[in-house]
Amino acid sequence: MDKIARIDMGAAGGPKVTVGPVGEYAGLGGRALTSLLIAKEVHPLCHALGAENKLVIAPGMLSGTTGSMTGRLSVGCKSPLTGTIKESNAGGQAAQVLARLGYAAVVLEGKPEGDDLYKIFINKDGIQVIVDNSLKLLDNYPVIEKLRGEYGDKVAYMSIGTAGERKLLAASIACTDPELRPTRHCGRGGVGAVMGAKRVKAIILDDAGMKMRPPVDPDKYRDANRKFVEGLRKHPVTGEGLPAYGTNVLTNVLNEAGGYPAYNFKGGQFPGSEKLSGEAQAQLEIDRGGTATHGCHRGCVIQCSGIYNDKDGHYLTKQPEYETVWSHGGHCGIDDLDTVAMLDFMDDNIGVDTIEMGVAIGVAMDAGIIEFGDREGAIRLMKEVQQGTPLGRVLGSGAAVTGKVFGVERVPVVKDQALPAYDPRAIQGIGVTYATTTQGADHTAGYAIATNILKVGGDVDPLKTEGQIELSRNLQIATAAIDSTGMCLFIAFAIMDQPETFQALLDMLGSFHGITMTGDDVVALGKKVLSAERDFNTRAGFTRHHDRLPRFFYNEPIAPHNQTFMMKDEELDEVFNW
Amino acid sequence: MKLEVALFAGLKCGNPELPCHGEREFSLEVPDGTTVRELRALLAIAPAIPLLTIVNNHHEQEEWVLKENDRVGIFPPIGGG
Ligand code: SF4
Repeated sequence: MDKIARIDMGAAGGPKVTVGPVGEYAGLGGRALTSLLIAKEVHPLCHALGAENKLVIAPGMLSGTTGSMTGRLSVGCKSPLTGTIKESNAGGQAAQVLARLGYAAVVLEGKPEGDDLYKIFINKDGIQVIVDNSLKLLDNYPVIEKLRGEYGDKVAYMSIGTAGERKLLAASIACTDPELRPTRHCGRGGVGAVMGAKRVKAIILDDAGMKMRPPVDPDKYRDANRKFVEGLRKHPVTGEGLPAYGTNVLTNVLNEAGGYPAYNFKGGQFPGSEKLSGEAQAQLEIDRGGTATHGCHRGCVIQCSGIYNDKDGHYLTKQPEYETVWSHGGHCGIDDLDTVAMLDFMDDNIGVDTIEMGVAIGVAMDAGIIEFGDREGAIRLMKEVQQGTPLGRVLGSGAAVTGKVFGVERVPVVKDQALPAYDPRAIQGIGVTYATTTQGADHTAGYAIATNILKVGGDVDPLKTEGQIELSRNLQIATAAIDSTGMCLFIAFAIMDQPETFQALLDMLGSFHGITMTGDDVVALGKKVLSAERDFNTRAGFTRHHDRLPRFFYNEPIAPHNQTFMMKDEELDEVFNW
Repeated sequence: MKLEVALFAGLKCGNPELPCHGEREFSLEVPDGTTVRELRALLAIAPAIPLLTIVNNHHEQEEWVLKENDRVGIFPPIGGG
């Protein structure tokens, strides 16, 4: 990973590829690379869909190696949804393949004139940018099917659906899984719209003839990886809970804890939660001949995903994540897993973020466009998004736009990005993360649920304000670092509880690069990333007043705890004061 | 006193002497003053598994004393996100 490819889509005479040394970004990967590059090279006041924005695609520091869990990809840009810097992260095969091809990053720059649509083919011989207007207005599944006819099954694909082409603010970038299904998405922040603005429909990554990236100290790396995998297998969350039930195992616990936002954040529990639960979902998947355990990329030992078949036993979609089941389920008053799975398939196919899309539909329900609980109505609204009707474009532009267009007051967004599946009034710690993260509301940026609800990595009472600032700060720093390694964030459950597993991770990073890596180094990396992101956002016009939740969280208590969000503004302002 | 008990993510009542044996959601009569730890022992849930216990929507420790009509949700270690 010693080179960066820059593709100027707007160059005179057609797209121009320049491959150069990694230079000042040497040693970085994933989020560290995307965020430092965007902060340095992109004008913070640019239009996110304009030629000045860049789309940076970067594998993690350990991607493309024999290390387990290292296949996460970071995509960075200025977000058209939030106006902030954005790092959107996905699994799938792309990161491993891109890393083995030797690229620390592929950067899409500029913007072409005209209507032509492009695909980019990257293999050991170089990079080709090819006009392919036959892909126009195809959704992700048909795009991949068509490209497989041409490029085969031994490659990884990234693509945008119709939402990306239409530059909708909820548009995602799909990455194919090991079975070449476009199910793993850089979902958040409208990164698909930026790819669409650059008229790039698909990227085909072929690492034939390339080798695994070699560590500087192979013996130590192998040994550290073995200990790391042992630690993941030993921890009950990464070794048992996640493989057996997937992330949707959270439905019951969040509902039981009164932190499950129902009916567009009007209640903290949902009567139909049992029907939506991970336990019910896993059983259904097994009964229908799917599977409740599946890895989104080769080398994942946790395997939190699964395959969801329809009533007739035919593949419908990958196992919908907890946040997806919530956004299309309880948030919309829908208690039917088949409806949720169909909506998940449509999200992946059209190419939209499942959280943003589901929350937008719930906001539309609050506006009376359809009733809460209307299963067919929700599918009908998704068809409008797919067809690009005016209503579909509004919904596909996310919860904030939908709320504005329909005059809804209760719009759960921070920096215009939809809140995920955890109510900050019942779980104060996650509210701190939603409010202050550089990304707009994002649970993964500092997953306080671990400590507030799941009691992993300590115990901080979710209903109290004490300890939440420090918790969110530490988690945000650690997450920024993990997102740079290429490791799946779910390793955090094991490394927070097991010092020897954290040490194994440090040894993997150290032995790969031939250095000694300490916990302090990880903290320093996390802070460096967050500082660059904060700096970009400040220059983009964001102030501490944007680091707040919508007012209804302060004014409307929620059952069953009958509490509001109680963190003081001055406390929130201390999160990045380290 | 009577409790409403719900067991999740594969947990079941493992005590063959209780009418709720093998079940995962039930009402149960227990002596006044029963703690979370005692309830877990009564339900014969393997002591090796660290449990997450949510009583009336709030996480409580093993020493927590339960009250009449409490709703007790018990989970094995789980995660996601
Ligand atoms: S744990 Fe889940 S999200 Fe993480 S790499 Fe594995 S399958 Fe992908």
